[in-house]
Amino acid sequence: MNKNRTYPTYFVFGALLLYVALYMLPSVIGLGYSFTDWSVYSEEIHFVGWKNFATVFSADYNYTRMLTNTLVFTVVTTLAKNVIGLALAVLLTKKVKLLNFHRAVMYLPCVLSALIVGMIFKSVLNPKIGLLNTFLRGIGLKFLASNWLTDSKIAFNSVMAVDIWKGMGYIMTILIAGIMSIPPTYYEAASIDGGGPWQCFRHITLPLLAPTLTVTTVLNVIYGLKVFDTVYSLTNGGPGFATEVMYTGVYKEFGLGRYAVGTTLSTIMTLVMLVAGYFMIRHMVKGDGQEI
Amino acid sequence: MKKILSLALALIMLLSAAAVVHADDGMTITYMASQDWVQDAEMELAEKFTEQTGIKVDFQIIPSDQYTTLLMSKLNAGECPDLFGSQAGQFDIVTQLNVEKNAVDLSGEAWAATVDPLAASETSVDGKLYGQPAQDVSAVWAVAYNKKEFEKLGLSVPTTYEEFKAVCEAIKADGMVPVYEAVSDGWHHQLWFCEMGVAIEHDEPGTAEKLNNNTMKFADSAAAKKLIEQIKEMADLGYWGDNYMANEYADAARAIAEGECAMTVANQGFPAELNAAYPEFAAEDIGFFVMPLCDNQILNMNPVGPTRFIYSGSDKIDAAKQYLAFLAEPENIQYQIEKVPKFNTLPFTTAKDAYSPEISAFYAAYPNHGTVYQTCVKYVNPQWMEIGKELVSVIQGDQDAEAMLKNIDRNRADQAAAAKDPAWN
Repeated sequence: MNKNRTYPTYFVFGALLLYVALYMLPSVIGLGYSFTDWSVYSEEIHFVGWKNFATVFSADYNYTRMLTNTLVFTVVTTLAKNVIGLALAVLLTKKVKLLNFHRAVMYLPCVLSALIVGMIFKSVLNPKIGLLNTFLRGIGLKFLASNWLTDSKIAFNSVMAVDIWKGMGYIMTILIAGIMSIPPTYYEAASIDGGGPWQCFRHITLPLLAPTLTVTTVLNVIYGLKVFDTVYSLTNGGPGFATEVMYTGVYKEFGLGRYAVGTTLSTIMTLVMLVAGYFMIRHMVKGDGQEI
Repeated sequence: MKKILSLALALIMLLSAAAVVHADDGMTITYMASQDWVQDAEMELAEKFTEQTGIKVDFQIIPSDQYTTLLMSKLNAGECPDLFGSQAGQFDIVTQLNVEKNAVDLSGEAWAATVDPLAASETSVDGKLYGQPAQDVSAVWAVAYNKKEFEKLGLSVPTTYEEFKAVCEAIKADGMVPVYEAVSDGWHHQLWFCEMGVAIEHDEPGTAEKLNNNTMKFADSAAAKKLIEQIKEMADLGYWGDNYMANEYADAARAIAEGECAMTVANQGFPAELNAAYPEFAAEDIGFFVMPLCDNQILNMNPVGPTRFIYSGSDKIDAAKQYLAFLAEPENIQYQIEKVPKFNTLPFTTAKDAYSPEISAFYAAYPNHGTVYQTCVKYVNPQWMEIGKELVSVIQGDQDAEAMLKNIDRNRADQAAAAKDPAWN
């Protein structure tokens, strides 16, 4: 077979057509509908300009809170999953008894459906009969027992904590693969030069893991911006509107038949993800360039 | 040997295929409804219906806090099951459900003429009947109380809000939670507000009409504001206990039966339901009084309840019609009244009611009647779950009563504008 043979350009058309039809076109149509008054209540659709965007960013509505919650969720869960995932990955690449068992236990939550996790944690975090408060009361820490999912001041933290618990094992697994690809000779050389564990981590593990951490950050950021299932199953946006995120808002708007506002929210999120994705990918490509 | 094995496998595959074909012989209709809307008695009747007709009924029961959004999403996406349950209401079935487009006209069905005229008017558009009532709509949401606890503490039925507070204080001092309130379901706690539209109407006559004509807003109503503040006060003073945010309504009977709580907002099927689950607790030991917020003494009537609709996009409309006809047969209506403790009657002229003397006495004690706001005011019922969330925000101190009322007005205006309601445009 001729190694220099290149496939003709039209080979890409099939995939391109599918991509355009299933991804690009709906996004563009959605963008178009964001400028209309499309709703279940009326058969006619009219162009309304930036009205829906003005509604979304208006102080009279709750959407800015949804946007803020989504961004906070993304930043906090990305940081926490990376930090905890990294700590676990470092621990579980050492010589530990029952290593694979520990890895499996940490990884297990991420294979569970978000709805199942939601149901389990709704029960665990029940203020009266939940496992957590019962345990806290049992060991004499009654003052720590809280309304984890039903107090608007702490519910969002609880939702983020559950999501971090669910997602950190996945990040840990990726980082374990990254750590294991670091040649052990670097650590041997460092130890000969008198480097301690912290110095090894700071000057070998962390720099060589940077590309992997970039990947996990991208995954976490995209996941965080799109979060829906965890919030929906744990609090459905409540108590009140305390834990509403953009996609619970989109779901609610579609449910209420206000399609145009729903597509506007989707469009805004698409733009946020495009911008975030552009800078992150640019950073990754730049990183690759430096390595070469 | 290999050939024999291959033949045997092929034969098994053929037999399995034949079995699948056979299993598909019977038709299955799907009925989607919110939690608590489909009773065991209906499921038993559905089995009987399958025996008679060969048509199976598959029930999709959805948690109540997610139901409205899911139903609307399915209707809007054109992917609704053959039958769906929804609250009726002459305004909402047009503006929210768009039954003329999404549901099948049932006026021609033999049972349509037997639907109680008041209930029929709430499920009809331009004289065409679109739904079949699924529950007892004669019952009203009122405060159900443990008579023995009241007797023990020497308490009498409160007629004003101050008296109600005094009753709650006495019960609290006795070590019980005065009121079992279930916020986690998302649909129950706002009954204190929407059902008490009768109190707003009493204090400020003509409010419902002005709200429907868009000549007044909820935020203009001092009575509405007072209602919300009293609801918050109940929660703040501990009358709902510590766990009301996580409580579920399904647990109300247990909480009352076990003496954990003394009162709850329930309808008149509650005593029989409680007695069925806890036989040691007599149904007669539960009494009722109207919610006394804003000193209300008017019976809050609502001729609307969960209703069955046939989805117009279904390809099994005839089978679904057969199912509704079967449920409306007089003996099957009576079967539901007898078997479902919370049903005292069903809104069909063929039904024979089963009111106990206590319940009849409760209705007789309140000669003045009014219609609840989720039925007589436009664009309130479609935001039922939103009102629940707004109320939680007030109770938790995230916003005040005025902000909540303004949000309700804003949501109403949005819906009215989208529906091109002449009063708003």
